[in-house]
Amino acid sequence: MSDLPLTRRMMLGGLGCACCGGLAAPAGARIPPGSLRPVVTPGYRPVDADEQGLWQQYRRVEEEIAGSNLLIRDDALARYLGGIAGRVGGPAAKDLRIYLAHVPEFNAFMAPTGFMVVFSGLLLRMRDEAQLAGVIGHEAGHFLLRHQLRAWRDMKRKTSALTFLGMAAGLGYGATGIYAGGLVQLAQTGAILSLFAYSRELEAEADAMGVKQIAEAGYDPAAMPETWQSLIAETEASAAMRRKRPRRGYSLLATHPAPAERMADLRLSAREVAGAGSTERGRDRYLAALGEHRRAFLDDQVKLNDPGATLYLLRYLASDGWNGLLRFYEGETWRLRGEAGDNLLAGRSYAAAVAYPDAPAEAWRQHGYQLLREGRRDEGRAALRRYLALAPSAPDAAIVRQSLAS
Amino acid sequence: MPRRVLLAAALLLSGCVQTRQFADVEFAPPEGDYSLLVMRPDVSVGLVTPGGLVEPRADWTEQARANLLRALAAQQAGRGGRTRILERRDEIAGIDAETVADLERLHQAVGASIAYHKYMGATLPTKRRQGLDWTLGEDAVRFGKATGMDYALFLHAEDSFASTGRVALQVLGIAGCFIGFCAPQGGGGQAAYASLVDLRTGEIVWFNILQTQSLAPGIGFGDIRTPEGAAQMVERLLGRMKAGRNVRARQ
Repeated sequence: MSDLPLTRRMMLGGLGCACCGGLAAPAGARIPPGSLRPVVTPGYRPVDADEQGLWQQYRRVEEEIAGSNLLIRDDALARYLGGIAGRVGGPAAKDLRIYLAHVPEFNAFMAPTGFMVVFSGLLLRMRDEAQLAGVIGHEAGHFLLRHQLRAWRDMKRKTSALTFLGMAAGLGYGATGIYAGGLVQLAQTGAILSLFAYSRELEAEADAMGVKQIAEAGYDPAAMPETWQSLIAETEASAAMRRKRPRRGYSLLATHPAPAERMADLRLSAREVAGAGSTERGRDRYLAALGEHRRAFLDDQVKLNDPGATLYLLRYLASDGWNGLLRFYEGETWRLRGEAGDNLLAGRSYAAAVAYPDAPAEAWRQHGYQLLREGRRDEGRAALRRYLALAPSAPDAAIVRQSLAS
Repeated sequence: MPRRVLLAAALLLSGCVQTRQFADVEFAPPEGDYSLLVMRPDVSVGLVTPGGLVEPRADWTEQARANLLRALAAQQAGRGGRTRILERRDEIAGIDAETVADLERLHQAVGASIAYHKYMGATLPTKRRQGLDWTLGEDAVRFGKATGMDYALFLHAEDSFASTGRVALQVLGIAGCFIGFCAPQGGGGQAAYASLVDLRTGEIVWFNILQTQSLAPGIGFGDIRTPEGAAQMVERLLGRMKAGRNVRARQ
């Protein structure tokens, strides 16, 4: 604001602009993980009146969330997630609660009272426990640094300053006839943008805190930038298939830093915190904990009608090796897109799927019908029989039997 | 100048207490021997920051909740009703917390629909001149049978108070009138609603919204943190329950 041509008359007119200098906080610099210390202690309880009020409101929110029918109720999985939070939660390890919501989107959020909501779409996108620990560590970072309270205080401060500024300018106009409305508007815009910048700064802090926490817990910190790299690639793949330009995820109004920036910062930070003991990835453990849910989450994803993102995601997950499940859903993605030639691509995926021992029964059904369509009658019928043998009481078993009889 | 002074004076005295109630056309206010279950009241009291945000305050909220519950029990006893107040979701024997939560959520949705179509101007042509015509359905009837209560009351109350900075701003806004810049600023205020459900039919038979607002610094219309203020809010909200249109026509 300082390079605006402020005349003395304007200053006399009641518009002191000193307050806006403090409003526009710079954002964007990387925060070194080593510079952060948790500010909460085990069993932390709010002390100040504003934080107590915030906690009281969020206790009610948590009660609602805990009783929501969107939650995935699986005690073993809940214990598993709680265990990771216990490892990366630092001083809050015993206080963090995680709720898993059935929402097919890549997201998670942290409440100021120490509970976290993780979406099922996020679990689908994780390749191993280290990546998941990175996300949980990031969210825990918000709690460890009491970010929600800081954001609230920041907003209080800025809205107050603006309201007084507006009043001063108005009174100045009344008293002296000098109109400063334009400048007030500019200050308002500046302050609103600075609220978003502040939010980005907090996100960057949570990234830094998270990467530090997971490295200290023995996980490979390089897992964290991978998540952003993959998110960027998924966004681009989704846009490319729809022949749209991808959203870069960066604007003055963004509450989170752009993924590309986060990835770059996290890579540097990961290198800083990496130690000899932090190499754990926990892939097998992660897949075992996810169990049958992975299939359900893939099912949700396929139905989002976003073939670009889904195909990207399947290939990303398959970088640890293809299997029957991933190939089957690759086929489903092509089949549901249904453009010219997609049924051939789908057929190829189903054929590949049934070559794996873990192919879902439905892969045999789809493979069978595809073979029949190609005129390979005996092979097709054999595949359908295989489907019936694997899933004799499937809802569509009768109709499949009918097509075998004809 | 005199006109400006008048304007400032008018603003100083302005502010209002508003209630607006709707009832089922066949609604008769409960009287005599009836039982009323007050569902866990949703109360929140906060501080208005200079910028106009409301910051919730835990201690004030607890105080106000306790006062409102006492005032409510006293007011209902005056009408002859037996009142039971739910403070937690899991305190009715034989009914699990989830059932109570479901009913609360259902009421939340139906109440929002009432607010939208009855108060915010989005009138429904099919519900014109039909009084209040909303129901919680069989769930509420089952709930009534299980609890043995005749009515359920849902209550939501908010109150807020201007911080010192906000009061200063209010003073400036009105003082500005004298120099030709009138910018009255809202201070604290109350917003509350009460919704009465007949558990024998499941219908929402009566609904009332209360709002108080003051532009004058330092002047409010009640303070639910005090027993008197809470009794005043309960009286404003529930004290003048009007019978439905058909009932009044027959009288």
